[in-house]
Amino acid sequence: MEFTDLIYKIFLKDGSWLTILNGLWVTVQISALSLLFGTMFGSLLCFFRVGKIKLLKLVAQVYISIVRGSPVLMLLMLLFYGVFARQGLSPIIVAVITFSMHTAAHVAELLRSALMALDKGQLEAARTLGFSKFQAFKLVTLPQLARIAKPVYQSTVVNLIQWTSVVGYVTITDLTRVINNIASRTMQPMITIIGGMIIYLVLSYLIYGVFHLTERRQKQ
Amino acid sequence: MSVIEVRGLKISFGDLQVLRGINLTVEVGERIAIIGGSGCGKSVFLRCLELLETPDAGQIFIDGEELTAQGVNIDKIRRKMGMVWQKFNLFSHMNVMENLTVAPIKLLGMTKEDAHKKAMELLAQVGLTSKEEAYPEYLSGGQQQRIAICRSLMMNPKVILFDEPTSALDPTMVGEVLAVIRMLAKKDLTMIIVTHEMNFAREVATKILFFADGEIYEQGTPKEIFDAPKRPKTIAFIHKQKYFSYEITERAFDLMELQGGIQTFAEKYGLTARQTNRLQLCCEELIYEMLEHVCSGENIVEITLDITYAEIDNSVAIKFTCAGKNYNPLDKNFDEIDEENLGATILKNLAKNYSHQYDGGINKINFSLA
Repeated sequence: MEFTDLIYKIFLKDGSWLTILNGLWVTVQISALSLLFGTMFGSLLCFFRVGKIKLLKLVAQVYISIVRGSPVLMLLMLLFYGVFARQGLSPIIVAVITFSMHTAAHVAELLRSALMALDKGQLEAARTLGFSKFQAFKLVTLPQLARIAKPVYQSTVVNLIQWTSVVGYVTITDLTRVINNIASRTMQPMITIIGGMIIYLVLSYLIYGVFHLTERRQKQ
Repeated sequence: MSVIEVRGLKISFGDLQVLRGINLTVEVGERIAIIGGSGCGKSVFLRCLELLETPDAGQIFIDGEELTAQGVNIDKIRRKMGMVWQKFNLFSHMNVMENLTVAPIKLLGMTKEDAHKKAMELLAQVGLTSKEEAYPEYLSGGQQQRIAICRSLMMNPKVILFDEPTSALDPTMVGEVLAVIRMLAKKDLTMIIVTHEMNFAREVATKILFFADGEIYEQGTPKEIFDAPKRPKTIAFIHKQKYFSYEITERAFDLMELQGGIQTFAEKYGLTARQTNRLQLCCEELIYEMLEHVCSGENIVEITLDITYAEIDNSVAIKFTCAGKNYNPLDKNFDEIDEENLGATILKNLAKNYSHQYDGGINKINFSLA
């Protein structure tokens, strides 16, 4: 009886659940937008990285090694307190920029490794049948690239969601920040934080589930 | 009109000149087999015909259209050629039917039904109708290669290029793929086959090209090339000759090293113990005979020894030279055998087709092992 009371007091009473939902929404928003822009920018980066233009190759290489080699929180603080300090951008936009940049570096590398794992022979086979370079890319490279890159991409997505838990540092009230606030207000850190972790877990397994579904559909 | 015409084709990779000027005309219905040692440029030649490698010089005409011309539509010309690869290269994310029909539907504008019908006909010819829905990874190498041949036939090519079609296959599966190629040969399809299967080349081809040193070293009908090759490298290749050479520059040479070298050579190519023994004995006796009579008293000597083993008839030939005065170790009266001539007697009994020549201060002795 006491335990359920406690749960009610922490997670439901006085609109607590609404605050939690709001925090979750912020987390989902930042993650989804960062994933979208990060994937687009990452594909472009990968294109530069494996391309023939030396300068772009070098730029991409330097960018990837810097971003992958430093904590994302540092990048976030650098952008928020440094680069965009005077622009008055909303913290959420700065967070989306940060995580897009971060995801892009990872996506670029995972795409590059998938490209290296590709069988060049099949591409040549398509060309000798008479497909143009672009047709062969669409027909052979893209579907195979997607298949090779998928498992790594899936964990990149889940990692991204977890990394966004640091946005509280730049005044964003995301899921982690909300949980933190509730924990200090109710003085019940154990239960509150475990509850928060469960929400993150559910989110992650939702992602795994979505990927699993697309895989099954492909097999059919 | 010729299906393929190649003029002065040259290509190099870095400093390595792989093709040094190939000229070739392939007429309709011709079946050309290209043979040669590894690294002789035969596969690169096929890749050049498909323009997968860009030649440094020369022209390629496919069915009258110049593939190497500026601004030409390569994709369109490539449709006239089929290519079958050593590693099959089926599209791994498509099933057999998709592999077969994707190109004719997308490139030739064939309807799905027509393409499907045609694919089923071809699959029936190669005995794989039951695999229509299968993905390449679930097929054996032989099955994959038969599908790959069908895939290139779907485009109605004027010529099919085979790049070592059986080299990546299990020995048990070579037969089924060769049977399919034989079937195509009976239909007078024009083809170029790069292969290591000599018997197959002999049976199927109308013309054999032997590639060496980046050029067509010798060409002719299968009979000419396999039964009576004319140039030395062709002979060495057809007879599967293996070589061992040794040079002696001083009287106190390392006999054990020589014998060890012969032993290793013999083991590597499967000479019998008897052949090996006799070979070692002959070499030893001959060398000491010459050292004693030709180079007596000198410490610096010039002796070369070349052993050729022909795998095809299991024969061993020895070529021996020694600088010095004219001396033929077998030029004796063997009726009066004495201790002195023991070496020469051994040599006489072990050598076949023995010849001795003295030319420009060098004794040249050739014989083969009895």
